[in-house]
Amino acid sequence: MKKTLIVLFAGATVLLALAQSALAIPAFARKHGFNCNMCHAGFPKLNDWGQRFRDNGYQVPGQQGKEKSVFEAGIPLAIRTTAGYSLYDGGGQTAGGFHLYGLDLLAAGVLHKNISFLFVYTPRIDEPAADYTGPGNGDNPAQLAAIESANIVFSNVVRDKLNLRVGRFEPGFQMMSAKRSYYLLQPFEIYQFAGSRNGFDFSANHIGIEATGRFKPGLKYALGYINGTGANPDNNKWNDVYLALAKTFGPGEGQTAGQRIGLFGYLGWQPTDLIGGVVSPGGDINGFANKTYYRIGGNVSLNLKSFNLNGLAFRAVDDMAFNELDPAVDYKFWGGIVQLDWRGLPNDRLVGSVMYNWVDPPDYDAARQIRAVSGLVRYYLGSWYAVNVALHLEVTHREIGVAPRVKDNLFTILIDFDF
Amino acid sequence: MRRSFWLMALPVALLAAAAGLVWGLGDQKAQPITEANALGIGPQRLGPLPPVIAPPGNPPSSAKIRLGKELYFDPRLSADGSVSCATCHNPALGWSDEGPTSKGIHGQFGGRRAPPVSNAAYAPLQFWDGRSPSLEDQAKGPIQNPIEMGNTHEAMIQTVSAIAVYQEEFKAVFGEGPITVDQVADAIAAFERTVVTTDSRFDRYARGDHGALTPLEREGLEIFNGKGHCTGCHWGPYFSDGRFHNLGVPPKDPKNPDLGRYVVTKDPADKGAFKTPTVRDAGRRPPYLHDGSEKTLESLIDFYDRGGGKDPNLDPLMVPLRLTKHEKAALVAFIKSLDSLNPEVADVKPVTPRGLAR
Repeated sequence: MKKTLIVLFAGATVLLALAQSALAIPAFARKHGFNCNMCHAGFPKLNDWGQRFRDNGYQVPGQQGKEKSVFEAGIPLAIRTTAGYSLYDGGGQTAGGFHLYGLDLLAAGVLHKNISFLFVYTPRIDEPAADYTGPGNGDNPAQLAAIESANIVFSNVVRDKLNLRVGRFEPGFQMMSAKRSYYLLQPFEIYQFAGSRNGFDFSANHIGIEATGRFKPGLKYALGYINGTGANPDNNKWNDVYLALAKTFGPGEGQTAGQRIGLFGYLGWQPTDLIGGVVSPGGDINGFANKTYYRIGGNVSLNLKSFNLNGLAFRAVDDMAFNELDPAVDYKFWGGIVQLDWRGLPNDRLVGSVMYNWVDPPDYDAARQIRAVSGLVRYYLGSWYAVNVALHLEVTHREIGVAPRVKDNLFTILIDFDF
Repeated sequence: MRRSFWLMALPVALLAAAAGLVWGLGDQKAQPITEANALGIGPQRLGPLPPVIAPPGNPPSSAKIRLGKELYFDPRLSADGSVSCATCHNPALGWSDEGPTSKGIHGQFGGRRAPPVSNAAYAPLQFWDGRSPSLEDQAKGPIQNPIEMGNTHEAMIQTVSAIAVYQEEFKAVFGEGPITVDQVADAIAAFERTVVTTDSRFDRYARGDHGALTPLEREGLEIFNGKGHCTGCHWGPYFSDGRFHNLGVPPKDPKNPDLGRYVVTKDPADKGAFKTPTVRDAGRRPPYLHDGSEKTLESLIDFYDRGGGKDPNLDPLMVPLRLTKHEKAALVAFIKSLDSLNPEVADVKPVTPRGLAR
């Protein structure tokens, strides 16, 4: 019975993780008359050109002020949805079925020279419960309603060297973008891992302000000041800070050309007591007893012909106040991701990838150790103006804990539709 | 508590204020670039060319076009009667020449390749550095360029005015009065606006004939507008943004590099930047780039595949492409599908002006 519950709980966790959203914005392709692979190495992963386009505030690199604003170019709306079949196998028992995994409603564009915006809304998706009997009260959304992104970008405040992004955004310390990962089901495990009382989610979008820029030759930075909880309103007047630095060797951005190394550090505070605090008119809570946590790590992206080897790892320390298992010591863990991508067929119509995830928590929490091996193949049916369909096959074998070690497998085949 | 509040609020306020200040003083002061409007604002879809629109000050007529055509092929516009417009902008060579750069009067060679006259009507600015705002203005330049036609406007007008047939034709087109250099330029420009390639296999495909392109050429089109990033600059029906980019082409004389657009604007960002040429008929006019340094389409694509050359002012649009051999071959095939099928444009025979002995 216990084993069954563990399996079902793990299955529920996996299926809920499907709600992770991903970015590819056909509104830009529609505006410019480009096809998707102008910016993507097979959507949603950005190629070097697309990375520069994003860095330049969704303006063609070097061409700011010489393109239509959203007021001239039409309504900048886009939709991305993924639907298909998944089969989950945990301890010899299986569960699965057809799912609508995600739906993103996107709007993005240039408002004025060097002022642009991105808005992503994910509506709640309620799954029919027929194939699901997991924990909870029957309230089983495959995706929660959320404003995933809502930010304004002020580009070229100082030409190339300073851009500002304000609002809720994907922060620059995520040097491997979870939002633009080929993997639609398997998350970057380390991104979602934290001490048991720490609500920080490394993979989440955050609210605040971020400065980014680039210097020759090939040095980029991101410096952010964010609320860290992702909560709106905030529960903590202490904001978090981060710094990410990346250096690219050779022409390119390290996405599909050039070699890139990066370092990042994140320092955050979370309240451990909310009772008795003041609440602002906006609903922000003045939490007490703020405790620190930090993440420090690096990223390497190597390119050879049609291959991209991308890896990220970080060390994490959460204050002992977040440690329920051993409140006398800080909760320390580390982990990472190694991903090898390959692009084939003309215009990158075919993508293959293998990925390894690992998370090493402290020994006394070994039950949360994670090892996961994933693989996928994506075939893009077309490369038309501003619309694309990918057939997506993804498998993951995951092992959680040490003794006992719970093994599970997830197989998914789906259609990824972006228009 | 109050001090704590300000400690939290002040950095945000200062950052926002500083950003606003710097942003206001920064890139926003850049001068507007007038050519941005000439082809519409920003990238457009590939497609057939629209009709040419002549400027109000130079309406076309059959007589004016005929006169312009005669002048275009007339070497007497040069100082020694040896060089005509068609010498360097030869219809048989894709309205350019063999290159890599052009041979002008007295066997002198210029530093840049002859830009194609075909479809130049769609270019918002003329010359590789865009120093000329119109075909009319452009037509005056080579006549008095010492290494092209080596003449003066005054001497050229004297020559043309002394030819009885021209006197009649100018009178018929422009009315009574002395022949002027503006009239010569207007007539040549009127002719050049007829050199338009409205029909190619790509155009037929774009109009709905899906059999007009082979599967390889269709792959090339997809790559052209995707992984190849070609439409980052070569967009719209003209297959050019009409703007200026530094591709990192190594200067032939590093001590005295051609500064391109910078000579006109004096904007350091324009150093080494040259106008994007149209890809239409590119298959007919090797070699390539502003200095003709790439001999074939294949070597040109290899150049782009490497991300261009090395230059501190390299355009940010230039990134390595990682194209496969097959993708490169598809691109070449597609570019050749843009070769004009307009017989009157692809095979214009020189019109010998009456009175010119050959």
